[in-house]
Amino acid sequence: MKYNILKIFFLFFLITSKSFALVSVDITRGNLDPLPVAISNFYFDVNIDGNLKKTNIENKIPELIQNNLTRSGLFFALDKKSFIQKPEVAHNKPRFEDWSFIKAQVLVTGKISLEKDERLKVEFKLWDVVSATELSALAFYTTPDNWRRVGHLISDKIYERLTGEKGYFDTRIIYVAETGPKVNKKKRLAVMDQDGFGVKYLTLGNEIVLTPRFSPTNQLVTYMSYYKNLPRVYLLNIETGLQDLVGDFPGMTFAPRFSSDGKKIIMSFAQEGNSDIYTMDIKTRVVEKLTDHPSIDTSPSYSPDGTQIAFNSDRSGFQQIYIMKSDGTNVKRISFGDGLYGTPVWSPRGDLIAFTKLYRNKFYIGVMRSDGSGERLLTENYYQEAPSWAPNGRVLIFYRETASDTAGRGGGAKLLSIDLTGYNERLISTETDASDPSWSGLLSAK
Amino acid sequence: MQKSLKISFIGHFVILIISSITLPFLMGKVQAPLVISVDLVQIGDRTNIPYAPKVLDGEKTDKKTKDRIVTNQAPPKIVPKEKPDAVPLPENIKQIKELLEKRQNPVKVENLDKQTSEFEKKEIFDPNKISALIDKSKKDNAETEKKTSLEVTQSQQKNVVVSKLTITQEDAIKAQIFKCWNIPIGLPYNENLTVKVRIKLNPDGSLISSEILDQSRMNAGGQTYYKILAESALRAVKLCNPLKVPSTEYEKWKEMQLNFDAKEMLKG
Amino acid sequence: MLLSKLNKITLALVMTLFLGACATQQKVTVPSPSSGPTDDAYTGTETVKFLADGVPDRVFFATNKSDLTTAASATLAKQATYLKANPTLNVVLEGHADERGTREYNLALGERRATAAKNYLISNGIAANRIKVISYGKEKPANPASNALAWSQNRRAVTVKTN
Repeated sequence: MKYNILKIFFLFFLITSKSFALVSVDITRGNLDPLPVAISNFYFDVNIDGNLKKTNIENKIPELIQNNLTRSGLFFALDKKSFIQKPEVAHNKPRFEDWSFIKAQVLVTGKISLEKDERLKVEFKLWDVVSATELSALAFYTTPDNWRRVGHLISDKIYERLTGEKGYFDTRIIYVAETGPKVNKKKRLAVMDQDGFGVKYLTLGNEIVLTPRFSPTNQLVTYMSYYKNLPRVYLLNIETGLQDLVGDFPGMTFAPRFSSDGKKIIMSFAQEGNSDIYTMDIKTRVVEKLTDHPSIDTSPSYSPDGTQIAFNSDRSGFQQIYIMKSDGTNVKRISFGDGLYGTPVWSPRGDLIAFTKLYRNKFYIGVMRSDGSGERLLTENYYQEAPSWAPNGRVLIFYRETASDTAGRGGGAKLLSIDLTGYNERLISTETDASDPSWSGLLSAK
Repeated sequence: MQKSLKISFIGHFVILIISSITLPFLMGKVQAPLVISVDLVQIGDRTNIPYAPKVLDGEKTDKKTKDRIVTNQAPPKIVPKEKPDAVPLPENIKQIKELLEKRQNPVKVENLDKQTSEFEKKEIFDPNKISALIDKSKKDNAETEKKTSLEVTQSQQKNVVVSKLTITQEDAIKAQIFKCWNIPIGLPYNENLTVKVRIKLNPDGSLISSEILDQSRMNAGGQTYYKILAESALRAVKLCNPLKVPSTEYEKWKEMQLNFDAKEMLKG
Repeated sequence: MLLSKLNKITLALVMTLFLGACATQQKVTVPSPSSGPTDDAYTGTETVKFLADGVPDRVFFATNKSDLTTAASATLAKQATYLKANPTLNVVLEGHADERGTREYNLALGERRATAAKNYLISNGIAANRIKVISYGKEKPANPASNALAWSQNRRAVTVKTN
């Protein structure tokens, strides 16, 4: 019996080896240029009326997609002027040679039509120009004024199909909008689309607000406010505008963040010169104390599976990053490099922790594995901190301040994003100075 | 004169009143219980798109139906029709769901199916196509399948290679493909991905066919990165068509196996 | 169940309060003025205001430190004398940090600095209920410049009258 099996194996091996008597060449190099993409203008179906035509969204949606894809650093959008085929023709039956000719490797086309109930139907197709195949085709329904969101959703679909990762374009950023002189800044909560559009101010700026953070469920934000000169952590529903004090603490609460399931808020409470870490269950309001140490324990961040917490402590004498189990036990220091470490933020993928590092009077944004190994610094500057992950864990957003002169001029805070690789640093333009950004989850995911 | 003065006076008075009501700083500190001065910004109409732009591919219909229910919990203003005014209580959710399904779902999905059926056949995600591909590869490469089932490693294969290119010949081929291959730079660098492509060439170096050897992996679950890499490899081969090939020994290189591995590049 | 938990927490808080008070008092009775090369606390008079004639309103700290320097203790002693002379006066101690630290850590650091100053006043006979503490972290610099002098002027605890 055994013999037989061996015989068969041997036979197989003979056959395979014979058929594989072909030249084998290892291709271990290629170019790392962004993928050349042609994003054709979309076209209106015949049933679109004059008013809708005026909106020009058949050009604006592709423009938004192009902007998203280009900013990701993974794609290079080809100049529309070089396009040979008309949008309508391309969408229905692209002549791949025309697109190969201008060196496009993939092509995006789309069509907008009107439904009987006045909704728009936005259809897009993604083509592999080189292999002459269609990669995906989807349609979205929406109201006409919601075209931006459709553009972001399409961008996510394209990104996912071409990279194998979920996108992050259908997301928002909450941040602190800063105006006024440095010694007395007016700070307002603001929220905008990931690409900087659609800014809404959520507070008036009568009191200082700091460190807003999105819940993974998107509707809630936790932040710190000096309302009535009592610095406390609040919970805000950005859709209803309703908010609530988090816990009933006799002193300053700060550095809030949601647990990954969105059910708890974890934060610091400072009293008598000592800051410790607490959690509060949003539903039951039960408060739990996790650390009990005379040092400063702050900036807590849950691991995505909720079993561990990274935090910042100066129990060694200086600011370092520690992790512990979610019940507060098993505290372990993980940062051992030169300099000070702060603001640990666990990646949504769970493998990395982003942080801020101060070394020789420079500030760095970096990442390390959750055991402290593999530290990589992504960017260096005069001052920058507070990294926040895009939901797919590939991009970080943070804020940067430059040095101001003796009169306090200059040095405004700006939002920037950077790829996990340390490449593709981009300014996210905001109408005011901006700090403390926090990236939402995918709006469509929940 | 008198009249215009009067009008001006009344006008100013009205403006003063309006501004004293609307401008918060004139009111002194707002003492709302528990609530910080927060604008009630209507973001709802952004997050909660009334008909959450939904993906209309058949496979995802179930998921999307659920999504729509969630997004309908906080109804936006744009479409008040058939919308609950408040967050629906659990027992209402089912009703709404039915309502929604009745209203838009089945008809539309079918519609799109008809419209894009041509493409769906082509869609790589399409199960029909997947099976077709698998069938095809089975026919074409019975040996290949067996080979993978035996898990012959690359190094073993090398041992059984009977014909070989000279180093110069091999380098010449490599150099051409390097230039044509756009590595998908979003791929994780820490995953072991090697895509083997078999190409058949005419004596003039033009491409007769190219195929992924481990076809089954192309559509296996959790192999998205492999698929992305494979697609980029196929594009590279096509972009390099025709290859500059040696003028002799056609038998040697009329068929080649190219092993695409981006690990080194992505790490660097 | 919930109540007992809350009770426990309050108990714990009260305990830490006592412990904290003990610890800082010790620090005060055995003054260990931070000195040496790491001591970059500001010693000048720029930005300083006065609660009354000869009573400066603020004390300064070294980078990342919250223990009181000799000069700081002297200033706080004057404040204590002044507060004793004005028994109806209440104050809030505002703790601040320079801009060279992460926001959240700086909030904690500011609180620790203000508390250090507060505890000195308490140990000098000022009733605890007359003193409140608030930390602004790096949010309210006294000097907006980005240089070592400005940073040293911003690492401070300021005593502000509330009535």
